[in-house]
Amino acid sequence: MSETAAPNVLVVDDEVQIRRFLRSGFELDGYSVSEAENGREAIRAATLRPTDLIILDLALPDLDGSQVLERIRSWSTVPVIILSVKSGEMEKVRLFELGADDYVTKPFGMAELLARSKVVLRRKARATTGDSVIRIQELKIDLAARNVFLDDERLTLTPKEYRLLQILAQYPGNVVTHQELLKEIWGLPHINDTHYLRIVVRKLRQKIESDPNHPRILLTELGVGYRLAPPNEPVEPPPH
Amino acid sequence: MPGIGPVSDRALKWLRATAEPRTATGIVAAVVLVTTITASLETLKNFLDLPPVVITYLIPVLIVAIRWGFLPALVATITGAGCAAFFFYKPTHTLYVEDPARRLGLLIFVVVATVASYLAVGMRRESEIVRKREKEIRDLYAFSRRLAAGHSTEDIFNAIQKHLSTVLGRKVALFEPRGPASRSEPIGERDVPCCVRDAVSAVITGKTDAATGMTVTDDHGDLWLVHAVSPKTPDLGVVAVDLGQQTPESEEEIRARIEAVLHDAASTIEQIGLAHAITEVRMRAESERFRDALIGSVSHELRTPLASILGAATVLCNAPAVAGEPRLAALASVVREESDRLNNEIQNLLDATRITGEALQPRLEWAEVADVVNAAVERGRSRLGTHAIEIDLPAEMPLVHVDAVLIEKALGQILANSAKYSPPDSTIRIRGWQEDGVLTLAVSDQGAGLSPEDSAHLGERFFRGRRHLQSTPGSGLGFWIANAFVAANGGAIEATSLGENKGTTVTIRLPVPANVEQLESIASE
Repeated sequence: MSETAAPNVLVVDDEVQIRRFLRSGFELDGYSVSEAENGREAIRAATLRPTDLIILDLALPDLDGSQVLERIRSWSTVPVIILSVKSGEMEKVRLFELGADDYVTKPFGMAELLARSKVVLRRKARATTGDSVIRIQELKIDLAARNVFLDDERLTLTPKEYRLLQILAQYPGNVVTHQELLKEIWGLPHINDTHYLRIVVRKLRQKIESDPNHPRILLTELGVGYRLAPPNEPVEPPPH
Repeated sequence: MPGIGPVSDRALKWLRATAEPRTATGIVAAVVLVTTITASLETLKNFLDLPPVVITYLIPVLIVAIRWGFLPALVATITGAGCAAFFFYKPTHTLYVEDPARRLGLLIFVVVATVASYLAVGMRRESEIVRKREKEIRDLYAFSRRLAAGHSTEDIFNAIQKHLSTVLGRKVALFEPRGPASRSEPIGERDVPCCVRDAVSAVITGKTDAATGMTVTDDHGDLWLVHAVSPKTPDLGVVAVDLGQQTPESEEEIRARIEAVLHDAASTIEQIGLAHAITEVRMRAESERFRDALIGSVSHELRTPLASILGAATVLCNAPAVAGEPRLAALASVVREESDRLNNEIQNLLDATRITGEALQPRLEWAEVADVVNAAVERGRSRLGTHAIEIDLPAEMPLVHVDAVLIEKALGQILANSAKYSPPDSTIRIRGWQEDGVLTLAVSDQGAGLSPEDSAHLGERFFRGRRHLQSTPGSGLGFWIANAFVAANGGAIEATSLGENKGTTVTIRLPVPANVEQLESIASE
């Protein structure tokens, strides 16, 4: 994605009405839109054209959406946002683990999808620029120096607290599942010990949140995992 | 005179038996038959030298015994013996018999005839019983076939009436327990006098003991027996049987028979009623499953176009051309809000089918209460309108072991109800506390409150308060879903209100596992 050109979004959905409003919504927001109505077409389009973001419906006539995601992930890290009428937490967890960047349940509002699109695009941009400092509200995480600041005051975190923040900060704004976090921090045997995670999150929130009961930085995705709030707007102008 | 009483009683009974039409006919027949035999023998005597003739009189005796019973047979025996002595034994034309052998012969005849007629009567009675039993079985079979073929209660009552009138051989009217007997038309005999109808009403309403029934005499002096079909309950109907003119003894006898028939019928009906109830329940469950499957698939099909509508509406709302035109913007937001509402209703239906489809398997995990509350408030934002939400949770709440998503949805339903039934801009307060191993979340509003009727029906599926039926849209699923979701997590839900327009407080109680502190301390290490 270049800084000046409009980002390219590939909309994959077999319902023409959905594609139509997604096209209008994205175009009004300054994106350039291409469409695919089935899985094979989507894979072909993603290989042929430079694509910055894929909006992928799960129910496709030829392939299952998760298969499409798997194929695309085999050669590309392009952000993928899943659309689905299913809202089951198990389903979400599975797709996040397959490499989905976000998950939106149908029906949804355009504003919500645009906000999420912006977040995943920004994460991609950061990954390409290699910026190691992430600012979320009054919190600053320096991944290179392994330092965390709140209002420019350095925080003392336990290794587990820092590890948690580090994993989430690698994908700011994106959900990381409980299982993923438990596996990364405590190891595979503790993959179901959600209370470990809850306690560390509680302690961490007491350090970084102004009101730990109403967190604004370290957010819970109920039944799925955690995510950090979207990073502060960078100084350079947004994509559009 | 103690000895006389029973003797005169027995004599009276004999006399009364003689008065019976059948016995009287039998006696006449006996006399006629004996006379005929005597006349024939008298004629034959002129041509043949007859050996002892007395044995010939066994013929009328047996005929009379089989046909008319013992008493006429005895008459035939005595008249037969008398005729033999009078007409055929020397000296003739007197009852005196000279020859001692003949006298002995006559005596033997009387004994043999008496014994033979006694046995014949017994045989006849037995064959009669067998025939009657056969008929009863046939009747019962026909009755059960009629019951089995019956689809409605009316068919069944018809079958009962037919069975009773066949078995009893009397005019039988059957009254269904619904409605006053004075007006409703009975099944079977239509011509039921008023006084009998009054008696039926008394039995139906329970004024008269259903187990004993009662007898009524109508204007023509006919006796009616009014009796409930089942001695336990008048619900199976009440019969009125026209007994006609009866003596106290025969009335007692027929009454016993009627009671026996009713007893049979009642137990059959009770069995059938039970089977009927079972089928009904099974059919209801079947149709409920079908309905849920239908709701499930319809809701899914509705969601797809709804996604397009809602999505397109949100694009319109933000499009510069529309946003700059307030009237158009208002219209676009109407589309958006209404499709949001529709979406919530569809979600409710889907949740409801999950509950009744037994697909509700909580995925238990450790959860932070504040996370659940925040998610419910956040996700329900569009339904909460302009209400201020006040959350009051202590800093240190224990972890709970629940399906966090189900509890969040339950809380969301409660919040949505609070918002719906309380004035705009009013405050909805969520409080949480822990006490004796129970974690309580309470949602209080300043809204419509609950009437006693509302409180009584609140947990029912599709229940909606009478006051809100017209004014506030809804499906009556919300609280029911919340209740089921909380119950699936081992918790309990309760709604209390000080009264109408005094606000409602809904509490969710969840068990706090006993080992939670231990777990928490291990995890913090």
